Amino acid sequence: MTDPLAVRPAIRVSAGAQEKPVIFPRRKPRINGRSIAILVFLAMAAAFYCIPLYVLVVTSFKTMEQIRQGAIFALPTEWTWEPWNFAWNEACSGITCEGLKIGFWNSVKILIPSLVASISLSAVTGYALALWNVKWAGTFLFVLFMAAFVPFQIIMFPLIQLTVHLGIYGSLWAVAFIHTVMTMPIVTLIFRNYYKDIPDELIKAAMIDSGSFWRIFGEIILPMSANILIVVLIMQITHIWNDYLIGVTFGGPGGQPMTVNLANLVTVSTGTVSYNANMAAALLTAIPPLVIYFVLGKFFVQGISAGAIKG
Amino acid sequence: MRYRLNRLAPQLALAPAAIIALVAFIGAIAWTVYVSFTRSRRLPESAIDFSRPFRQYDRLFQDNAWSISLTNLIVLALGSALAIVFGFILAAMIERERRGEDFFRTVFLYPLAVSLIVTGVAWRWIFNPDLGLQNFMHGLGFTGVHFNWLAEGETAMYAVIIASVWQSSGFYLALMLAGLKGINEEIWNAARLDGVSLVRVYIEIIIPMMKFTFLTCAILLSLGVIKAYDIIVAMTNGGPGQSTWVPAYFTINAMTQRGNLGYASAAATMMLLITLAVFLPLVLLTAWQQRLARKAAA
Repeated sequence: MTDPLAVRPAIRVSAGAQEKPVIFPRRKPRINGRSIAILVFLAMAAAFYCIPLYVLVVTSFKTMEQIRQGAIFALPTEWTWEPWNFAWNEACSGITCEGLKIGFWNSVKILIPSLVASISLSAVTGYALALWNVKWAGTFLFVLFMAAFVPFQIIMFPLIQLTVHLGIYGSLWAVAFIHTVMTMPIVTLIFRNYYKDIPDELIKAAMIDSGSFWRIFGEIILPMSANILIVVLIMQITHIWNDYLIGVTFGGPGGQPMTVNLANLVTVSTGTVSYNANMAAALLTAIPPLVIYFVLGKFFVQGISAGAIKG
Repeated sequence: MRYRLNRLAPQLALAPAAIIALVAFIGAIAWTVYVSFTRSRRLPESAIDFSRPFRQYDRLFQDNAWSISLTNLIVLALGSALAIVFGFILAAMIERERRGEDFFRTVFLYPLAVSLIVTGVAWRWIFNPDLGLQNFMHGLGFTGVHFNWLAEGETAMYAVIIASVWQSSGFYLALMLAGLKGINEEIWNAARLDGVSLVRVYIEIIIPMMKFTFLTCAILLSLGVIKAYDIIVAMTNGGPGQSTWVPAYFTINAMTQRGNLGYASAAATMMLLITLAVFLPLVLLTAWQQRLARKAAA
């Protein structure tokens, strides 16, 4: 339910590390009965959380004969890559049967321009709002704050018309464009909150030192932004990759991202359902964000929790 | 000259974002609200019919599917609130125990990185009556258990809730963990000296101290529930019948299936009003917190 994007205004990552919440050091408790009880409970909860992933993985390697026998939690008796091959190369989405690889590359082609456009636009906007005296900045910030929470449905049809007028409706570009538009408010707010903690003196000194708006951004601000850039990058990658609604609305038949392919694949009920191929398809869709999460999890968590809820 | 350039450049840099905000957000919202008062069907109509400007809303409030959607929205919100409860309990345990913190956090948060469509595929498979959990339990001898929730209108919503709690509790866990870590160790020491039980410390001291965190979580949860669409499509596609319709699903359905723009706009406008009703407390909360922070600083 929680769209990570919907909740990003709570995120406050600050430029100065000194802004991080104070963490009180604590001795590790000695092992006692209570610790064991807690650890057992946590382990059981963790096992429960792993069930859906476990079921996906084992089912995707089973043969259909074994699946029909019904033991959902059993390991495959004979491991097979066939469902993965089928999902990637042959599975049908709508009328075409070329597998999920089409959707995968579509998702990549959507992802790259969306990332470049949304991050550069939002970083510059956040920088201008945070460090330069623009008269209407306060009003604009409030509008962005509101826009970050607007349900997509209320602006959906006007945006369809807009992309039709721009001549990109039904293409990958439309999906990338709408992602840029929809994520602009929140990403801008994140950058603005990060940059506003940069000391004024730094900018004043830079201005006296003949720094222009763009030179200060390029020479001082950008080099300070590595941490926030990677946090935002990871948020945007997972959010855009996992999106379904924008892809299905703006992509048209030729511009569908992987999630839309997957949804088409698993909701058709003609003929026999290849559950193993469906599970392999779901895993293929989930692997890119999961890899990022497991490798760069620290930043992912930082995006959610770093200095969260400071109002 | 340079001074003036420096005043112009920031405004120019803000222009694209300002245009997006004006056109794609403010303008688009105004357009949709306006269309909700017209008789638009498949194509937008520009004239408001002043004899019955609220015709779309009248129809909406008489539509059984809309009242189902609203009821489901409340059910979903109350059910998803379990995610906050679980998030807090797990965060409190992880924070007290401290062993394996990274491991547990990684496990509890991974569903957040996965698309809701994938979440739906996994949970639909678990709820599969012939080959899923029900079959497994029957095989173990529990033939009385009944897990065919998705096929029945009364229970389908609960299956959606389980999937959404699974997906989102890690998020609240992360927020709660951050909140718990900001609490001073002295409180636990004082409680230990006084011989107060741990449960009472949590209920009487920790939870009241974290009221902002809980409020923020509740508001963010409500805003997320209003947007719930993907999970419905992936789990039930609204069915069986209309039993798992929610406003977000209703609106898109009115637009794409019924092809009725005026009607969909009215539903979307209602969604916006619901969002505002949740959003205003967030604004007030933010203002309140800032005032408290200023008072504390002074």
